[in-house]
Amino acid sequence: MDPLLKVVKVTKRFGGIVAVNKMDMDVYEGEIVGLIGPNGAGKTTLFNCITGFYKPNEGKVYFKGEDITGLPPHVICMKGIARTWQKVKPFVKMTALEAVTVGALLKYKDISKAEEVAREMLEFIGLKKINVPGRELTLIEHKFVDLARALATKPTLLLTDEVAAGLRPFEIERLIDVIKRIRDDLKITLVVVEHVMRFVMKISDRIIVMHQGSKIAEGTPEEVANDPKVIEAYLGIKAI
Amino acid sequence: MIGVSRESIIKALSTRNLIIIITVAFGILPVLLGFNRYYVYLATQVVIFTSMVLAWNIIGGYAGQLDLAAAAYMGLGGAITGLLLCYYHLTPWIGMIVGALAAVGLAVAIGYPTFRYGLREVWYALSTISLVLILQRIYWLIYGTTEEYISEYIPYRWSVLYLRFDRYEPYYYLGVAILLVTLWVNITIRRSKLGYYLRAISEDEDAAEALGIDVRRYKLYALMIYAAIVGLVGGLYITTTGIITYRLFDPDYSLSVAVAGIIGGLGSIPGALIAGVILKTVEEYLRATFGAVILGLHLMIYGILLVAVSVSKPEGLAAIFTYIEKKLLKKGSG
Repeated sequence: MDPLLKVVKVTKRFGGIVAVNKMDMDVYEGEIVGLIGPNGAGKTTLFNCITGFYKPNEGKVYFKGEDITGLPPHVICMKGIARTWQKVKPFVKMTALEAVTVGALLKYKDISKAEEVAREMLEFIGLKKINVPGRELTLIEHKFVDLARALATKPTLLLTDEVAAGLRPFEIERLIDVIKRIRDDLKITLVVVEHVMRFVMKISDRIIVMHQGSKIAEGTPEEVANDPKVIEAYLGIKAI
Repeated sequence: MIGVSRESIIKALSTRNLIIIITVAFGILPVLLGFNRYYVYLATQVVIFTSMVLAWNIIGGYAGQLDLAAAAYMGLGGAITGLLLCYYHLTPWIGMIVGALAAVGLAVAIGYPTFRYGLREVWYALSTISLVLILQRIYWLIYGTTEEYISEYIPYRWSVLYLRFDRYEPYYYLGVAILLVTLWVNITIRRSKLGYYLRAISEDEDAAEALGIDVRRYKLYALMIYAAIVGLVGGLYITTTGIITYRLFDPDYSLSVAVAGIIGGLGSIPGALIAGVILKTVEEYLRATFGAVILGLHLMIYGILLVAVSVSKPEGLAAIFTYIEKKLLKKGSG
């Protein structure tokens, strides 16, 4: 089976700093892939390269077999890749319902139909405060709106960037359920960037570990957790 | 449940009935002013200004771009209408359309590269206000400081074809017609996909882009609609005043339009409408009473108002409406 998303030797430099270094990654349909790594490993930069916010200096990104390297973000979104933001970019003047309707308008041109889809998505995520302006929502609620907004564009692939950060344990349990239902009920493939290990170990089928811009390990959660290179990257000790 | 029905009443009040109330109010205004020549002239100026504030609301309020080029599009539309009328005896009915189209052309020529290279915020504001000055200088280079009087070329006292009237009521009602169309455009956009997209862009361009919105294209659409209306208004302005001069390209006028839009509350239709009417009326009153004594007093008052609004109510007049609406709703359900 061909991968849904294929990242081939992507490199992104900022001045003298190499943020992403010859990164390879394959994501297959129906998977939940966890992308982990210490701070500054280049995970968010890689996301930005895939979604078109950065043009990679080298390398290619293929989606459904098509070369999408360097296309503008809105075209990539239209092709079916949606994302959420590590640093939330909320619509504060709009209500949650309006914000998610903006996402739904990509595939549904009619306002009332788009609003209906937005309602479904907010219900799916489990957000009740849909008619209050964004500025009255908490950070956690913004993260859920962000997720619903991305889902409303009806993507085939969803990239989430630290949705679990800052969540309390019972909220993480709820998020685990939501992420699994996104894959099982909505048939969306996911790449999940996460620092919360409890969360990423529980949901991922496969984990890719990045360190200093490159992939250092790949495998099931158990394999990765016992990989000496991963332990070294995180804890900085020679584990031989 | 009573609360819900009240809400729907308020909603009805703020849209369809609002338009009816505005139409009637503007319709009978000349009667209330006793068809006084000077007052009707001032009312025409107020209507023209308010139309421009409402048009600005599309680019400045919805799309969140601090555009200061209103006088450039207005001046271009006006100069084209006026000069075609004077030199070629082309009816302003067509001249105004040509002027509006030229304004749209200018908007595309300026907006495409500006948005392409991501000029935002203060940089966008600076580039747009300089557009006014550039056009002013270009006009100056071609036509100098001479003022063209339409009355010298079109000596009719009353002509519907050439829009020459010896009273101001026809101009006033034409202005009201444009104002109502602009109001309708505002309401339609707000409820459309374009409106949702523009509001998303004004909140966060990256987030909007990630949701599949072609940010540059939609900003350009907003700019084109705004330029078209302002260009059309410029044509009416020139036929009303009857004088074509480089002073049409007046940066002060641009600032006044944007200030009124901001004081009204970005993106708020009633806010823009009321701020436009009140500010222009006050400005004209100040100009008439103190203009000869203290030059530019109205600009000082604008400055003070802007500071007062930004300190106390950053959402502008719109915040006051929301407050009243909330009070009404509470009474209903309580």
